[in-house]
Amino acid sequence: MPDAPPPASRLPEDPARAMPPRQLRDLPTDELRTLADELGLDIFRYSTRHHLVLAVHERHQLIAALDRDAMLDVIKWGRRPLPLNAPNEQMAKEIVRIKSMRFDGLSHDGLVVLAKLRGVTVRPSDDVASLTRKLKRQESFFAKLSRKRRSFLGSIVSNIIGDTDSADDYQFLPPEQSPEAPSSGTPASSRPASLKEEIEEAGLLGGIAGRIKKSADFYLNQKLDEIEARIDRKLSEIDQRLSEWRDKEVANRLRILKITLWASLVVAIISLLYSYLKVYFPSFFAG
Amino acid sequence: MPDIDLFRFFRYMLGWTVTIYATIITAQSLWGWYVYLISADRYTALLRRYVIVQALRLRFKAFWGDLILCILLTIAFFLLWHAQGILDHIEDTMKAINPVRTITHA
Repeated sequence: MPDAPPPASRLPEDPARAMPPRQLRDLPTDELRTLADELGLDIFRYSTRHHLVLAVHERHQLIAALDRDAMLDVIKWGRRPLPLNAPNEQMAKEIVRIKSMRFDGLSHDGLVVLAKLRGVTVRPSDDVASLTRKLKRQESFFAKLSRKRRSFLGSIVSNIIGDTDSADDYQFLPPEQSPEAPSSGTPASSRPASLKEEIEEAGLLGGIAGRIKKSADFYLNQKLDEIEARIDRKLSEIDQRLSEWRDKEVANRLRILKITLWASLVVAIISLLYSYLKVYFPSFFAG
Repeated sequence: MPDIDLFRFFRYMLGWTVTIYATIITAQSLWGWYVYLISADRYTALLRRYVIVQALRLRFKAFWGDLILCILLTIAFFLLWHAQGILDHIEDTMKAINPVRTITHA
């Protein structure tokens, strides 16, 4: 029964993102294919549109059922630029883009998530070794060949360039503003990605472009930090000067008030003396 | 012809004039600040909060000497005012008793 609604416990978190089959069916074919591709489905495996709709719907249900922490593990391992509070579907799309076959540093739960999203059948009894074996077995011959070629190219390029950096820790992007988002955004450490690995994963141009982008990002971030620090320093200085001005202004006002009070007091004393003389010595003012 | 005491006239004139002038100036200044800070735009709201923060951060320890002096001067002023009132009352009473001679010495 393709039109039957899925069980509530397996519904995705965000109903706007994970559409029910009826809405999926209304999508244009090219959009449906793009969505399926983004979710890691092989669109050529599904002969009819109806099958593709069902597959996308099942994939949505699978994503909704995945463990969020495990997905974050994979994101860290794959060094993907995502905020900590990114929705499951966005994380799944990023995980699908990770093509790396080096599973060092990835937790068991992370491996389970990766395997499920790569279409590998996972059994509860599978340990890290068997999951790794299954994932490697799942890779096609040509994909493996292509990866090896990229790896070879990557090692040559990294030897030529001299891959010295990339020892920096992975950090999530700043959290997106959302009322449901978790507030903590602590950076997490992960394995460093070498140029060779990047070229192996994204190809020669993609790897080098990624590395240049990363260097440019680092430079920009550094400059932005410097500018921010300078602005902070300037603001503190302005605040300090305003505080001094406020203190001087209050002191000045108090001084004026004091002078006014003294003047009033002097006038009051003169007036009192005058009245006293007028009452007790009226002869002074007679005639 | 009314009996006008010039010094008393000057004193009252000065007192009223200065009080009204100071009240108008203070009210004008406060109204100006109120109109400026009541605006709902973002920057004025920021400024409003900053003014409040500055006011809260004001340390009275730095001005407590002047403040105490001002309070003492104000108390002295009111005491003198009270004494002036008593003397005025005595003068009026004396005038009522003896309109020709203001006071008789024992």
